[in-house]
Amino acid sequence: MASANCPECEGDVALGDDAMQGEIVSCPDCGVELELVSTSPPKLEPAPEEEEDWGE
Amino acid sequence: MDDEAAVDLLIRAVETPSVSGEEQAVAELLVERMRRAGFDRAEVDEAGNAVGHIGDGARRLVLLGHMDTVPGEVPVRREGRLLYGRGSVDAKGPLAAFVAAASRAGARAGWTVTVVGAVEEEAPTSKGARHVAPLWRPEACVIGEPSGSRAVTLGYKGRLLVDYRHAQGTGHSAGPGESAPTVGVAFWNALVAAGEELNAGRERIFDQLTPSLLSIRSGSDGLEEWVELTVSWRTPLWFRREEWEARIRELAGSAELRFYGGEVAVKGGKQNPLVRSFLASIRAEGARPRFKVKTGTSDMNVVGPVWGCPILAYGPGDSSLDHTPTEHIDLDEYLEAVRVLTGVIERLCA
Repeated sequence: MASANCPECEGDVALGDDAMQGEIVSCPDCGVELELVSTSPPKLEPAPEEEEDWGE
Repeated sequence: MDDEAAVDLLIRAVETPSVSGEEQAVAELLVERMRRAGFDRAEVDEAGNAVGHIGDGARRLVLLGHMDTVPGEVPVRREGRLLYGRGSVDAKGPLAAFVAAASRAGARAGWTVTVVGAVEEEAPTSKGARHVAPLWRPEACVIGEPSGSRAVTLGYKGRLLVDYRHAQGTGHSAGPGESAPTVGVAFWNALVAAGEELNAGRERIFDQLTPSLLSIRSGSDGLEEWVELTVSWRTPLWFRREEWEARIRELAGSAELRFYGGEVAVKGGKQNPLVRSFLASIRAEGARPRFKVKTGTSDMNVVGPVWGCPILAYGPGDSSLDHTPTEHIDLDEYLEAVRVLTGVIERLCA
């Protein structure tokens, strides 16, 4: 199973064999949400923050 | 559907007025364009929705936009790459992008891609979305509302309204009793305070119960005086309508209350194939994706709880231009959204 380093805490984040670009995963050490931005090699970045917006 | 045809579709749709309840002309336009763009089936359904399908697979992706607009003519014109007109952002831009992207992606093995231009999203009825909600059980749904081409909207607040009426015998204004308008204002202040108690510690507006006093009226016929209020709440995910109604009844005393317009807040998850497809497709444009949550409501509030599938809202345009006299959309952003959506269909329905 592939893994990648958490960019926040350097923890090891396990990735499923079928992990795909755009996947959102949680770091088991620090709990931060991460986005798998590339699969070869596996690279994680902090997932987008939720912004508030009004309207429809 | 190439870029020229996609832009032409949007311009023609914006040029065709379609205030809620008067969507027939734009529905016919959309059906004609969907047929021309290679949809396998397209028709105006019993509710007046424009509905088109590509493919006949058992798995279904629904792209649910809306055709209707709020009133107020915004003359249709081009200024460079900007297209002005009522509905250009909310939400003919997102809907036209759905049609163009579904056409470009073409038939996907095992899937049916369904595009809906719903009627009456801007009306309290949500007639179009309510009509299609029981028809299908899709695996994923995209709601057509402006998020900007590089962002996806994960959720919307809900809504609840109440009409309040308090009446009492008239009294002299110099007397000790409170006038009916004073009672009404005290009720408003009490319900604001009750909401603030529940909001304690919740920082985001998306997570707060937010009241709005829509109208206040009072009168007297010489024997009886009365006050009437209409109050709207934008409701968060944690909101429990029954508990809140009971609290409001306590605060209202003997006044008459009528609750209506209830829509449940909805928010889709992030860890699913639909979100993954959007993030990858936005990054393929060289952009950094963003997540949004919105304080308004949309047809996601109607179909989200029924379908229970991965769901989000997406579309080109700046939602701060919704319902404004300067509503306009950037055609380059619109075409970027078409590419993003095409990539989403190709990734999700692979």
